[in-house]
Amino acid sequence: MNTTTPDLLVVGAGPAGLAAAVTAATHGARVLVVDEQPRPGGQIWRRPDPANPGPDPLSAPAYAAGRALLTRAAAHPGIDFAHHTTAWGVFATRTAPDGWAAPPGTPVPAGPRVAVHGPQGVEVLLPRALLLTAGAYDLPVPLPGWTLPGFLTVGGIQALLKGHRTLAGRRIVLAGAHPLLLIAAAQLVRAGADVAEVAFAQHLPAPADLIRAVAALPGNRAKVAEGLAALRTLRRAGVPVHTRTLLLRAEGEQHVAAAVLARVDQDWRPVPGSARTVGCDTVGTGYGFVPSTELARQAGCAAHWNGPAGGWVLDHDDAMRTSLPHIWAAGELTGVAGAEHAVATGRRAGLDIGRSLGLLESAVHDRELRPVEAELAATGRMAAFLDHTCAPHRAGLHALADDDTVLCRCEEITFGGVRRTLADNPGLGTADAVKLLTRAGMGPCQGRMCGPALLELLHRETGVPRETIGAFTARPPVKPLPVDALARAHDATTTAESPTDAGPVVR
Amino acid sequence: MSDHSPSGRPGQVTITLDGVPREVPGGRSLAAALIAIDEPVTRHDRAGRPRAAYCGMGVCFECTVTVDGAPLIRSCQEPVRAGMSVDTTGEEAR
Ligand code: FES
Repeated sequence: MNTTTPDLLVVGAGPAGLAAAVTAATHGARVLVVDEQPRPGGQIWRRPDPANPGPDPLSAPAYAAGRALLTRAAAHPGIDFAHHTTAWGVFATRTAPDGWAAPPGTPVPAGPRVAVHGPQGVEVLLPRALLLTAGAYDLPVPLPGWTLPGFLTVGGIQALLKGHRTLAGRRIVLAGAHPLLLIAAAQLVRAGADVAEVAFAQHLPAPADLIRAVAALPGNRAKVAEGLAALRTLRRAGVPVHTRTLLLRAEGEQHVAAAVLARVDQDWRPVPGSARTVGCDTVGTGYGFVPSTELARQAGCAAHWNGPAGGWVLDHDDAMRTSLPHIWAAGELTGVAGAEHAVATGRRAGLDIGRSLGLLESAVHDRELRPVEAELAATGRMAAFLDHTCAPHRAGLHALADDDTVLCRCEEITFGGVRRTLADNPGLGTADAVKLLTRAGMGPCQGRMCGPALLELLHRETGVPRETIGAFTARPPVKPLPVDALARAHDATTTAESPTDAGPVVR
Repeated sequence: MSDHSPSGRPGQVTITLDGVPREVPGGRSLAAALIAIDEPVTRHDRAGRPRAAYCGMGVCFECTVTVDGAPLIRSCQEPVRAGMSVDTTGEEAR
């Protein structure tokens, strides 16, 4: 295959991307999957370097579907992978006059130009169809001590374990609201870590009851079994699992030395006098996930605010088409809903892409659609249940930061700094305007870490609706890349600056 | 599990960390290798306070270091390689 002109370019080799790639390739599409990681699997199906021996982190029954999909994708002759490769810009797409792409199944016009940066430098890919499945990352929750070494997201702790066979620390406190905490805690225990405590902020009877309630939901047996197995592991190891308990702050000088936790009420407000200190060297937080929409928004795909589904999520129709012609989205970009739902949305997109590319007859498409729709319904029910019970209480989390708490980790902007700017500039009502005045969001992470907290801060201080405040505008390159690589890509974009010796990095 | 592992074992590789040769476990990311030897700090803020890997998945840019002279390398995305020179002190890492 000429990899610069695939039928379908998939950005992201996680559950959604792999499912779509296999579905489209099965019907004859030539598919290229680009991903930043060294191996396919995304965040959830990470595997270590084969040169680093040890048990397979995906050996648990809950990962059986993932293992099967990884094997199918790797074996399919119609699928190529480009790893260590970042897609940083999508160019030459036009918004349809009515703001929506063509209806499902419509043949795709000439595709977009997609700029990637990988081991070979910058390349411009010309797929006929583009599927964005960039996934999600842990919701960053700024609170005192969150910039200390040893303070990680639970996803980061899991990535170290699954992808690198590395324990993040010796004695670990996990806190948050998402069931991933249970799964990660059990994996850590099995790997030999001392998990000091798992703290859920929700006001629930007990995680076991929660999971029993979930058991009533059909079509999600593997997921429920995974949760129960994790609970059993934690109980056997004597790990305390608390509900109604919130992490207030982390303490330490050069490294995390303790976590301060407190009982909370229904609105996640600490009960006075209930704070206690747990000695530990590592803290991980897991309050849910933020869809990684920056590339899609840079391309021009419309997004809307959906707090329980992760924040800004992409507009999409039933066939996973975005608001732009020839761009589809699947998985967490369309609303955070877990790996199983991501697989289902990936299959759904793969079918529509296959038909739109003229590879899949309508009759075949419709026949294959039925089981996929059943899968979407089942996984969607589970996602809705989790949205309902595990969504972050944004006001409660916002209240954890004091004026000295770092909001923007890259530019070292504090909550107090932003509040002062707001006081000095009444009428500031968009995230971009605050970015220009404070520099929050201008660092290398380009607002991924401070964006959600800044939105909440602005919303609470000004009363302006989140939809009006908006997300930071996403511009290429959506992740930093070397200027010399960018210079070689001058035909990818007219916004690139001419090559100079100005510096090693553009932001 | 080979975290916090003693040196000299098979699978260890030697890197230069801020000018000092160090043995670290191989077959993982540079960030993971640094955490495994209890040297998690990748950069410092303007007040000199240490920072280290936070997201572990390439989105927060807290784990950036200079590798063989190239700045702003995300150590959580960079495989550890024998002989690589890692600098956590450079201005550009801030
Ligand atoms: S730890 Fe966040 S980018 Fe590496």
